[in-house]
Amino acid sequence: MSEFNIKKPVVPLPDMDPEPQIPEDELFFTEEELEQIERYKEKYPTNRSAVMPALWMAQQKFGFLPPEVMQLVADALDLPYAHVFGAATFYTQYYKEKKGTYVLDVCCSFSCQACGSYDVLDYLEEKLGIHAGETTEDGRFTIQEVECLGSCGTAPMLQVTNGPYVHNLTEEKLDQLIEDLRNDKMPPFTSVTLPQDEDEMEGNRRSDVEHTDTYQTPPETKRWI
Amino acid sequence: MPTITIDGQTIEVSGDKPLLQECLNQGVELPHFCYHPAMSAPANCRQCMVEVGTPLRDRETGEIKTDANGDPEIQWLPKLQTSCTVQVSDGMVVKTHRTSEKAKRGQRDTMEFLLINHPLDCPICDQAGKCPLQIQSYKYGSEGSRFEFRKVHKPKRVKLGPRVMLDAERCINCTRCTRFTDEVSGSCQLTINQRGVKNYPITGPGETFDDAYSMNTIDICPVGALTSTESRFKARAWEMSRTPSITTINAKGSNCYYMVRDNLIMEVVPRQNIEVNEYWLPDEERVGWAYERFNDERPEHGPEIRVDDELTPVSWDRATDAASNALSSVSSDAVFFLGSAHATVEDNYLLSRIAEHVGAEAPKYIPHVEPGHGDDWLRTDDRTPNAQGCERLGIHPVDAEVLRSRVRSGEIKVLYVLEDDPVASGLFTAEELEDVVVVMHYYNTTNKTLAATDVALPAAMVVETIGTYVNEEGRAQRVRPAKVIKEVNRTLMMATGKSRTDMHGTPFDRWHNESHQVDCLPGWEILPKVAAHLGLEFEFSGPKAIMLEVTEQNPAFHGATYEAMGLQGHRLEDVGETV
Amino acid sequence: MEATNGQSKAGDWQNFERVLLPPIRDLHRLDVYEKEYDGYQAIQKVLREWEPGEVIDEVKQANIRGRGGAAFNAGLKWSFMPPKDDRPRYLACNADESEPGTYKDRQIMEYNPHLMFEGILIANYAMQLDACYVYVRGEYVDWIDHMQRELDKIYEKGYVGENIFGSDFSTEIILHKGAGAYICGEETSLMDSLEGKRGYPRIKPPFPAQKGLWGNPTTINNVETLSHVTLVMRHGADWFSDIGAPTHPGSTIYGISGHVNRPGCYEYPTGMLISDLIEKVCGGMRDGKKLKAVIPGGSSVPPLRADMIDGVTMDADSLREAGSMLGTAGMLVLNEDTDMVTWLRRVNHFYQHESCGQCTPCREGTGWLEAIVTRIDEGEGNLRDLDLLIDLCDQMEGRTICAFADAAAWPVRYTIERFREDFEAKCKPAVFDTGGVAMTA
Repeated sequence: MSEFNIKKPVVPLPDMDPEPQIPEDELFFTEEELEQIERYKEKYPTNRSAVMPALWMAQQKFGFLPPEVMQLVADALDLPYAHVFGAATFYTQYYKEKKGTYVLDVCCSFSCQACGSYDVLDYLEEKLGIHAGETTEDGRFTIQEVECLGSCGTAPMLQVTNGPYVHNLTEEKLDQLIEDLRNDKMPPFTSVTLPQDEDEMEGNRRSDVEHTDTYQTPPETKRWI
Repeated sequence: MPTITIDGQTIEVSGDKPLLQECLNQGVELPHFCYHPAMSAPANCRQCMVEVGTPLRDRETGEIKTDANGDPEIQWLPKLQTSCTVQVSDGMVVKTHRTSEKAKRGQRDTMEFLLINHPLDCPICDQAGKCPLQIQSYKYGSEGSRFEFRKVHKPKRVKLGPRVMLDAERCINCTRCTRFTDEVSGSCQLTINQRGVKNYPITGPGETFDDAYSMNTIDICPVGALTSTESRFKARAWEMSRTPSITTINAKGSNCYYMVRDNLIMEVVPRQNIEVNEYWLPDEERVGWAYERFNDERPEHGPEIRVDDELTPVSWDRATDAASNALSSVSSDAVFFLGSAHATVEDNYLLSRIAEHVGAEAPKYIPHVEPGHGDDWLRTDDRTPNAQGCERLGIHPVDAEVLRSRVRSGEIKVLYVLEDDPVASGLFTAEELEDVVVVMHYYNTTNKTLAATDVALPAAMVVETIGTYVNEEGRAQRVRPAKVIKEVNRTLMMATGKSRTDMHGTPFDRWHNESHQVDCLPGWEILPKVAAHLGLEFEFSGPKAIMLEVTEQNPAFHGATYEAMGLQGHRLEDVGETV
Repeated sequence: MEATNGQSKAGDWQNFERVLLPPIRDLHRLDVYEKEYDGYQAIQKVLREWEPGEVIDEVKQANIRGRGGAAFNAGLKWSFMPPKDDRPRYLACNADESEPGTYKDRQIMEYNPHLMFEGILIANYAMQLDACYVYVRGEYVDWIDHMQRELDKIYEKGYVGENIFGSDFSTEIILHKGAGAYICGEETSLMDSLEGKRGYPRIKPPFPAQKGLWGNPTTINNVETLSHVTLVMRHGADWFSDIGAPTHPGSTIYGISGHVNRPGCYEYPTGMLISDLIEKVCGGMRDGKKLKAVIPGGSSVPPLRADMIDGVTMDADSLREAGSMLGTAGMLVLNEDTDMVTWLRRVNHFYQHESCGQCTPCREGTGWLEAIVTRIDEGEGNLRDLDLLIDLCDQMEGRTICAFADAAAWPVRYTIERFREDFEAKCKPAVFDTGGVAMTA
């Protein structure tokens, strides 16, 4: 289960008197970034609408969104800080605290659950020596249990740091993934071929992708919850 | 105007308000939490549910269909509706919990959900006794709970700002507080954090909830999630009496209730007056010093006169005698009367009458204007409650330079000060007043002019007296005694607010705490005593009669009788610059 | 109405030629889409020859039932837009696809994005809209980049923007990236999110057509729905309504997951027999195990027991009769080894996690449901808990601003109703006080 456990339901208070986590001399947007924010603003009738793209940009730049970064975004958009904070805490993909370099979001919603996602989680926890929701001591990996990522046919699957999907997970595949990530090699974008394409054409219909996968019979499930 | 039927009773309504408000206006109570008339209706508490139907119309003709009895056929909406979001339309039929089992069930169901994660810590909660959740759960909820799990544990004792404390477990997420800062005060300092059962209101980390109106969120919080850092854990709601009055820190005249226990002001809370402060009160009216000036800094010894350079307690008779002796001991042009924008219209009026009687020039008042303090809302640059009342009485701001030079030159030998502090105001230094006989009605021991005062007369404050103030917009409003002064029996004092113990308590739990009863008198009692020694007999039965005379004699106060002012005040006609 | 149940309504589905995802190599590329799939012909014809109102009528007649889950006639929805006034008007394309079990819109976004863009342009013209915001869930970042590349191309060619295709009609398409919130797939919550707020569903009325994005008239359609619009305007309403189930026509993308041999996204006509999908399309159950349950359209729809799917077809009417809903046609297939209590516990967790927290019954109810089902799943539950669960469903359904609470309650209600034995097997036996003699039942 993800961090909030209904059996021991505890909601912590964020640090209300936070120490800045981004050095002061790094806490700014460059000219190009400010121009990008201007372009975001132009896409919508109100500045407030640009808060989501601006938060994405800030997360890309700083890795996560500590309070001072949310304040920076608020200032750039001329919005109240609380509005930015409220929006950021509503959406799970915005990291409110520092995570590992590689965040492994293991989908555990019902299709993945039925196809062995908890086995994947167990294997990763064992392998990395941390529980879901935690980060390894070297700051490299965070494991998270997340809700449906919209790739139910390739269950079990995971997403790396809000980026590429890794499909049809097996222990071997996880080993390879972790090893690659230890060498800072992100998994490539992988196109999953349509079964009908496999029957009617050669499978992969995209000449612009190097990596493909197919829908496969899901593995047996050991742990269900 | 549309006509609607609520529980079989047909009524005419304004049509521009949501159904919930129309019901409340008709005296039909519907339980609700998130709805507040001054803010948008999010309909998130789901408590005010009713059944709603509209007359069925023929598709072709547009005529209302009728049944065999000639009554309109009603098409009922399949789901219960939140009455706060229903716009009334002509012919609408509404069934509340009073007639609909479905509505009753709906309200009870929501109440059960509201309480499952609520800590039910009423015995230690400041809101208990006045808590909409507590009250409505008794009235509309079911007994007991079917929830057998750990409640969600959320942050407690979070100091959101200097004046507001959060207990997120008590919160029912009605979002009144966040909507207040977004829609009313505009500070946008609060937001809801997280989502689902984990959510609660908070400021962004590192931000302080220092909105100048932050404490209104405490007032509108329908549970005890937001409490006052100042008054939490000090008094239970039922122990306090509640006196309708106005606040006096600025010239807005915001309507309030003074909450009193043991004859001490425990809390000041807003009182609705759409014409003045709507539902709100600025924080400045209810922070530390606002209480201290009512409670701790009051005179301990009653009236005093200076004997051998020491202020020495004496009886009221001796003190007022000394005051009148001072006034009659010098020629009338050596006497100067300072009226006061802190004092009531009645007291200023009596002072004017005395000045006139002794042949002195008309009193002047010390303006207390702090440019930039006002915010075009409920705070004003003027830090006094009654400058407008003084002006209308013909009491104008004192020319500080002129008065100072007249004091320095020895021209003025007696200074009669009504409820103010000329030294703290920078009018004089205490030394400059050494050779002047100073008679002063004063409120607090912190008064800097006391050092130079010869006759010190403790005056009843706004929370102890009866009288009239005129706010900057020309609205005359009454104040009522919230606490009683020495030798006055609270239960016999008709105008005083009563607490539960006042009304229903036994002699043992009724408070008789003499130590908190200040030995002071209202201006309308002191001034007639002084006047009597001067041969001027006021024959007023009380402040009400004084005000009646003012309204009859001064067109600037036309119509402002106590009856007309009532609880909402009386708007006086505008007068020109000079009265 | 003709008999709905019993036989496939998908006709000769084995020989069905796909239209949303036709087998054309590199169809996602603008040049291929134009050259090999008559791309952007429909919009040009519409701009030249059709009045906006006529387009709405055609789409209405085609009866494209919304593919996002509600199955509402898209053209009818369009007709709710008020006449053009001086206010801006918007389309929001719902690409937030986050209903568990659903991954079909992503196939269009990856393999045929221009079909969707063209549908958007037609919709914008039909309703005379200033812009379309495509709200894509944040997790689909790779596909957003992919679509942005293709969108840039049509901007460059003048297919979107000022005076599209040289006509006097101007309109914009803007991609917006979500950030992880299931509720933002709810149309009014999607609007709040686009406005940069917390994604809270809004009270209806006012409906989006009256007061939508930034207070202006707005229509919200799903990716697949808008893609079908292109096809309807290309081939005509009659062509479209001849495909698949008569009351729910067209093709659709079935996203199948779970214990089948060959899961995946398959485009076939609507009205496929569930049994055909499992046995013939997906190659049967994994390891030849028996079927236990089918959840035909995402986590929100009532699950069907194996013995309830005989003759049931994948269209709104047949599934309603069978006691479920088509939803998103994202079908989860579960085999006999599945413990429905454990499965339901995970579903409940999902709804607890994703509730926006606005309305009391949903905020509190979703957590309570999860707590009870968790207790039962761990063997600590009592039979009376089942009655309480049903009671709580009654207290949640129809009592909130949006349908999320209903969606959270239905799986509970129907899993208990249809798989009661799984629950009973896990509940502690009820013990009656019989004066010292223990009796179990």
